[in-house]
Amino acid sequence: MKNEELNFGKNDQFNLTMIPGSFARKMRTCKIWQFFRFMVINIKMLIVVSKSH
Amino acid sequence: MARLIVMGGGVAGHTTATFAKKWLGDEHEVVVVTPNSQWNWIPSNIWVGVGQMTKKDVVFPLAPIYSKAGIDFRQALATEVHPNGKEGDDKPYIVIESTEEGKAGQTEELTYDYLVNATGPKLNFDATAGLGDGKGGLGDHTVSVCTADHAVHANLELQQIFEKAKNGEKQKILVGTGHGTCTCQGAAFEYIFNIEHEARKAGIRDMLEIKWISNESFLGDFGMGGLHMKVGGYAVSSKLFAESLYAERDVEWIIGAHTSKVEDGKIEYELLDGTMHEEAFDFAMLIPPFSGVGFKAYDKDGSDMTDVLFAPNGFMKVDAKYDAGAYENWKASDWPSTYQNPSFDNIFAAGIAFAPPHAISKPMSSPNGTPINPTPPRTGMPAGIIGKAVAHSVCDMIKNGKEAHLHEASMAEMGAACVASAGKGILDGSAAAMTVYPVVPDFEKYPGTGRDTDYTFGEIGLAGHWIKHILHHMFIYKAKLKPGWTLIPE
Repeated sequence: MKNEELNFGKNDQFNLTMIPGSFARKMRTCKIWQFFRFMVINIKMLIVVSKSH
Repeated sequence: MARLIVMGGGVAGHTTATFAKKWLGDEHEVVVVTPNSQWNWIPSNIWVGVGQMTKKDVVFPLAPIYSKAGIDFRQALATEVHPNGKEGDDKPYIVIESTEEGKAGQTEELTYDYLVNATGPKLNFDATAGLGDGKGGLGDHTVSVCTADHAVHANLELQQIFEKAKNGEKQKILVGTGHGTCTCQGAAFEYIFNIEHEARKAGIRDMLEIKWISNESFLGDFGMGGLHMKVGGYAVSSKLFAESLYAERDVEWIIGAHTSKVEDGKIEYELLDGTMHEEAFDFAMLIPPFSGVGFKAYDKDGSDMTDVLFAPNGFMKVDAKYDAGAYENWKASDWPSTYQNPSFDNIFAAGIAFAPPHAISKPMSSPNGTPINPTPPRTGMPAGIIGKAVAHSVCDMIKNGKEAHLHEASMAEMGAACVASAGKGILDGSAAAMTVYPVVPDFEKYPGTGRDTDYTFGEIGLAGHWIKHILHHMFIYKAKLKPGWTLIPE
């Protein structure tokens, strides 16, 4: 049984969308991957800030 | 010596006043009029509302900061604007009413050369029956996280709910918007997922039914008509992004809803299809609609000229196109860029205080004629950027004369970064980090989505959470005018 898929069966709202699987969830808290994403998000945010001034 | 009065000491007002004072120096006077004695980093009120921060963590006293900066601080409520002065004296002035301890209620006239309205919104709880107390304040049936004190109260109520859940009582939590024309869905979005996270941490998630209610016509509208972002090689709607998050966290949603009445443990709401419904709750946090703070403007002879300065919703008129008409005619260029009042060139508005030309989301109403659509958000980043641009313009006008070039900061040409946390711990939380560029979609420049999908993105993870922590400390540091504060961008 895949626990992450249980919510699909709870109601029609949930059934008609997408729910992340275990790999996607693990990557959200993987410190090495998140450090890389931290750098990427910061760079993107700085570009948005610079374009906005 | 010229005098600039800034009404309001929030993100926009504080940014305007501090930069203006830095650029004008001691040759000119900067006065801040705000009824609050403390500055509040509002985004972190969410963490106060779930007990992960105290009020002290999100506020600090303004008086010492302004004293150090050389800004004249008046703890008072501005009530009247007299842009043409009075009989026998052409000097424009405002009337203020002190809120300082020991002086409360005392009124004073303050003349100005330049006036910046940065008051933020009035939290219009009384627009919905039962949401307010009938005197403009929060009612007894729900909680709010709009101010630090509201958030403290919200946490006290939430902890009682958590206690009941721990004792085996099923509890129902309702979070969202308390009226069909609310904005600030993002704050409610962040709060509901912080509650969900704390409930999981406390081991009581299965004892709570957590539900979202909102005036958005689709989940992920956020008052910006939604946005498209690149995820996994696709450009997808924020609808899918938001629905996925809600489904993953087991949070059901009601959308297209105008909350029409709030009672003890129950709300009544109308949907976009005109049907009426009820929803019970044990704990509810419903954002109120915003309006202008209710200034009155008077001409020299004492006649009311409020409608010259302010739109019917109480926000100040600026250089926006207010006659754009139907949704099909809306353009990015309708949005203001200089924030100068069209009738008085020495009056500006910044942040939430300016009257937007129209909504960003598609206007909708029920068959009964009830408008149910979000009003446009004006979050911290745009408020700060607008405040700085206005400060630039005013300083240039003071130094170079009224014909000086005005600085521009249109929301159709600026982005915004939003980080909605879920939890506060460094390693056990997560956040939805989103950037949107531009805030107001420009379908002429970016056909299809209206935005630049290279810089409009969203993702969930620890990284966003770390950014949220950094923003909290960085912006409080900046607001305290500590060394290097001007290097921190708005």
